[in-house]
Amino acid sequence: MKLILDRIRVERGEWHCSAEGTFLPGIHLITGRVGSGKTTLAGIMAGVMDPSSGEILREGISSCMLCQQYPEYHVTGSTLAKEAESYGIVAKNALETAGLPGRGDDDPFSLSRGELRRFQIACLSLRDWDLIVFDEPFSALDCQGKQKESQRISALSSRIVVVFTHEQRYLPKTDYLWEMREGVLNYLGTVPEAIPFWDTAPVHVRMLLENGIIPANLTEEDIREGLCRMRG
Amino acid sequence: MIIARNLALRKLCIPELVIPTGSAALIGPNGSGKTTFLRILAGVLSPEKGFVSINGRPPGELRIGFVNEYPDRNLLFSRVLDEIAAPLRFTRAPCDEISRKVKLASERAGLSHLTNRRIHTLSGGEKTLVALLAATIHAPGLLILDEFDSHLDDQSLEAAEQVISASGAASVLRCTQNMDVASRSGTLVALFGGKVRASGNPGEVFSTLSGTCYVPFGWRDE
Repeated sequence: MKLILDRIRVERGEWHCSAEGTFLPGIHLITGRVGSGKTTLAGIMAGVMDPSSGEILREGISSCMLCQQYPEYHVTGSTLAKEAESYGIVAKNALETAGLPGRGDDDPFSLSRGELRRFQIACLSLRDWDLIVFDEPFSALDCQGKQKESQRISALSSRIVVVFTHEQRYLPKTDYLWEMREGVLNYLGTVPEAIPFWDTAPVHVRMLLENGIIPANLTEEDIREGLCRMRG
Repeated sequence: MIIARNLALRKLCIPELVIPTGSAALIGPNGSGKTTFLRILAGVLSPEKGFVSINGRPPGELRIGFVNEYPDRNLLFSRVLDEIAAPLRFTRAPCDEISRKVKLASERAGLSHLTNRRIHTLSGGEKTLVALLAATIHAPGLLILDEFDSHLDDQSLEAAEQVISASGAASVLRCTQNMDVASRSGTLVALFGGKVRASGNPGEVFSTLSGTCYVPFGWRDE
């Protein structure tokens, strides 16, 4: 099972981005500056957008889901129960997974944005997808939600999981590191070997690197362990 | 100074809260009432009971800049330049003054290259920065930022902080899930289940939250 981006290029007026690479099963983390094309690339990978040129090949991938940057974009049901059912899952399971038991009759827009994000991730993680693309899955979540969702994403590593994020602290256990630089997707390598070459590394990872420490991975526990080593 | 007294709306219940003038951050779990409180302060929502005042005046009598947590809900116009200029145009400010201020604000935020772009072509982070410029260009007395940082990388956040500093707002009240950002505010208010669990300087508030994920790395004994 693999996802291949073959000379993908997107052009919108003067703005452009391009990408090339092969995505195998595992957790792929992609970071980059605001406006570098991450959301565009997420849409192309998930098949909801077409590139200006190039080809995307999905070998052995029979199901795919995009977790959009804005949880409100996913909403199609007038109640949480109907929203869950629109994913083809049992509403009760989704509500319990999201920590919202008994709220099936509530309007999705009566939730806080973080609650809506939690509910949306619960809905899509209760089904089995060969390819899942997460666009900023941690935005709007509180720290407990970020901890929980990063662990949930880490547990999906038998599929192809692509995570685009600006999150600084709660990252999933990552297999492959990628970075958007000047509108081009760059493959940095496997984790942890690629970490020293990561320009947009989170602040605490940069702090560790400046002190000669390469964390074992990018989870909160890995960073905390690195900080302990740094402080002796 | 912001004062809330006997305040109640939905699950939000604040008998008494005083937030000194300056920078303040509201922290707490999803669904704890942070956005509700910010919207009351912005004058967008009315409380069921009680009142809030900002420097002794109700929200409606003050110039307030507000950035919504939903990036698309901030935006009224289809072109970036029109969105940033709108608060000045609404007051019928002279055209040359509007052009000068929009140019200066866009340059400061590193967004000059975007001013002629259609808003719908922007990324989430870019939309947030445009909303921040629109909220600050008219020199608000109080600037309210509802999780505006959740779509920004750390370099964009730095640029946003410069825009906030340059806005001249006497008070900046933000809600954030980034505790490193929160720790740089003069005052923190921790809201849990609609109630204020702690308020004060970051050291005081983080000490009451010891052992939870609401304490940033640098503030823990690790």
